[in-house]
Amino acid sequence: MKDIVERIKVKFPVAAVTFQRKDLTFITVEKKHGVEAVTYLRDVEGFTHLVILTAVDWLEEGEFQLTYLLNNPQAKQDMGVRVRIDRENAEMQTAHHLWPALVTYEQELNEMFGISFPGSPRQGVPFILDESWQGPPPYRRDFDTKQYSEDTYFPRPGRTKIDPAEHMKKKLYPEAE
Amino acid sequence: MSLKDVLMPFTAWGNLFKEPVTVKDSRNVEAAPRYRGFHVNDVDTCIGCGTCEEICQNAAIDLVEVAGRDAKEGDSGLRPMIDYGRCCWCALCVDVCTTRSLGMSNEYKWVSSDPEDFRFVPGVDEKSWNDNNKGYFKMDGYDLYSTERVEMGELHPEERDKSFVEMIQGFSKEQAQKEADRCVACGICTATCPAHMGIPQYIEAIRNDDLEEGLRILYETNPLPEICGRICTHKCETVCSLNHKGDPLSIRWLKRYIADQIPESKYKEILETENITKNGKKVAIVGAGPAGLSAAHYLALMGYEVKIFEVQEAPGGMTRYGIPEYRLPYEMIDKDVDYIKSLGVEFQFGTRVGVDVPLETLEKEFDAVFAGTGLHLGRSTRVPGSDHKRVYQAIDLLRDVSYGKEIDLAEKVVVVGGGNVAMDITRTIARLQNKKFGKVNVTATCLEAEGSMPADDEEVIEAREENATIDPGWGPQEIIVENGEIKGLKVAKCLRIFDDEGRFNPSMDMENQKVFEADMIVESIGQAMDISYTDNIKEKLTFGPRGRIQVSPDFQSNIPWLFIGGDIIQGPDVIHGIANGHKAAKGIDKFLKSK
Ligand SMILES: Cc1cc2nc3c(=O)[nH]c(=O)nc-3n(C[C@H](O)[C@H](O)[C@H](O)COP(=O)(O)OP(=O)(O)OC[C@H]3O[C@@H](n4cnc5c(N)ncnc54)[C@H](O)[C@@H]3O)c2cc1C
Ligand code: SF4
Ligand code: SF4
Repeated sequence: MKDIVERIKVKFPVAAVTFQRKDLTFITVEKKHGVEAVTYLRDVEGFTHLVILTAVDWLEEGEFQLTYLLNNPQAKQDMGVRVRIDRENAEMQTAHHLWPALVTYEQELNEMFGISFPGSPRQGVPFILDESWQGPPPYRRDFDTKQYSEDTYFPRPGRTKIDPAEHMKKKLYPEAE
Repeated sequence: MSLKDVLMPFTAWGNLFKEPVTVKDSRNVEAAPRYRGFHVNDVDTCIGCGTCEEICQNAAIDLVEVAGRDAKEGDSGLRPMIDYGRCCWCALCVDVCTTRSLGMSNEYKWVSSDPEDFRFVPGVDEKSWNDNNKGYFKMDGYDLYSTERVEMGELHPEERDKSFVEMIQGFSKEQAQKEADRCVACGICTATCPAHMGIPQYIEAIRNDDLEEGLRILYETNPLPEICGRICTHKCETVCSLNHKGDPLSIRWLKRYIADQIPESKYKEILETENITKNGKKVAIVGAGPAGLSAAHYLALMGYEVKIFEVQEAPGGMTRYGIPEYRLPYEMIDKDVDYIKSLGVEFQFGTRVGVDVPLETLEKEFDAVFAGTGLHLGRSTRVPGSDHKRVYQAIDLLRDVSYGKEIDLAEKVVVVGGGNVAMDITRTIARLQNKKFGKVNVTATCLEAEGSMPADDEEVIEAREENATIDPGWGPQEIIVENGEIKGLKVAKCLRIFDDEGRFNPSMDMENQKVFEADMIVESIGQAMDISYTDNIKEKLTFGPRGRIQVSPDFQSNIPWLFIGGDIIQGPDVIHGIANGHKAAKGIDKFLKSK
């Protein structure tokens, strides 16, 4: 894997490399080289299979991290290409022309993280959320799930809530005011 | 409600004549072993802390009362009820559960036509999967909160055994916030704290780095936070939810952290006590121990003029004249007391009520009296030889050390007793011997066997670290005196301490005896009270078991103007004294307002 990384480095800058396992390596490249990197790995280095495209919300750092996980079926090796993008203007070039499956991944990230992939065919088309979804993208870490469910779904009649500490006060030391 | 909401249910009618798509499951296969099905709860282990309710992002859980389970210390008696109309089977509740009582069976198929059936209390309501032990349970190797305490810095034994410098170093801001972060804010501890302190609330203040708010919360129930933050018996920690899966929260050190960060000069401003309107009434307090100080503090806040009469030369009671300085530096007592003084509370030291001032005088000059005089008479073993002049009482020696008096220290000392007071005197003697002779030779012995000594484990461990010998499980028989000099303490192996009726009645194995060599003996087997100041009004008081004066829940005696609290009523520990003093202050206020 080391030599693959060396060969990539000749082509464009690689910000970080993690040799996770013998058969698994991660590289981090700038956003503008992201699609180029996966194209190169697919066409030249034999990473012909796309395993997954996912995102991680680095809220505190104001960034999303995209990971394109690629597999080389011959060499039985995986390579993850990580790209950091701005969280405010969450946008990434589409790579759906490389693998048709990316249409679905990009659609999912669009819906769940609010990351847009201009030119990708199903951007804005509901994926697993239905048309009535009114909240912000729910996989963003600042999405307050509990608040959303409390605001959106009416409470079932007959439900009561008892606070343990208050309950113990009432039962065990009612004299305290 | 919008029109859409009204019409919404009717849109379903559109499906009325469609072919149903329900498929009958004829295979009836069981779910995978770790499948997340309906919850199970070991309701005897569950403590009703509500952490599962708190974490559930779908608000699917309510803590509810269940038949036959009452609130008790460490258990709210409530149990989680789950609404499966909301549950998404994420299992966060299972992962966070503080007791690991909550899990999920792998049963997910269950049909009922009544939607209300899908809301039940796992483990309480009869369900076919209650005994199913497949499903999802939290695995080892990860936790949603840290199960380990943030370590507290301590002086090494070599550094501490020559000096009385404070051993425990206190948290830094980072450490305090990290420790505060572990709190699940269930509030189970509050009921157990004798003063019912707002524990989760002040811990939250630490998390928010709002220590002024923290101080305000402390003072609602406890006017001695520097003292308690160091030496409280911290019963709260024994019931802390986190104790079930790891270390309990360091509640005591967190309290200390708040008080330590704020200088006393800012207290009045923060606690908004710069202007107190006086109500013209006067209360006398006998004893400047925790109980008296607490009563004085709350009475002063209510506008009473308060005067404390105290035999000793300085305030604090046993916290100053008993507890050694390496556990509680005197300036920390002063900090707590200086603030109480700044509220206008007056002190008259060197005055023994009943001798220098009769109680009757206080009755005449004040509207009410609170007595918190503590336990100051040492108890003797009364074994032969115990009347020798080199047989001392632990509390007398500790008081002398507090006064800075040189005690007539011997090179070989035996301490009789296995409680915390015994450990305090043992460790004090170790330090003094080290200073004076350059070596330690002190042995503490008690009736209780190793592992069941009344002292806290850490006290025993630390005493040993400081080179004291702790040899428990022996009953004193005789102090051997030759030519007027003490030679040692003869002991016999203690077989048991209580008889079949559970009475204190130790029995010894007389075949198994030995002598601890010593030229000085210290007895530390308990303290008694001296309430001779009540002698003239004795017949009007009612006495309960062990000669204790009976008081109402407001700590009022049968003599309406006389309120009594602290060690002579309940405890003995500082926090009971504080709680008693607070309640008595409210009781006095009630009494004087109704007069
Ligand atoms: C060695 C030792 C170690 C201890 N360690 C701890 C500990 O780690 N944690 C803990 O919580 N508790 C500890 N305690 C217990 C704790 O100190 C007491 O429970 C607490 O101080 C009781 O408060 P109080 O106000 O009831 O009585 P005290 O603190 O005893 O105060 C009573 C005051 O009244 C004064 N007084 C008595 N008679 C008269 C009179 N006639 N006229 C005027 N003044 C009078 C006394 O001089 C004294 O100052 C310890 C006790 C001892 C002896
Ligand atoms: S978190 Fe666990 S112990 Fe606490 S109430 Fe829920 S099930 Fe019971
Ligand atoms: S499994 Fe998840 S959704 Fe269901 S009750 Fe537990 S925390 Fe709530």
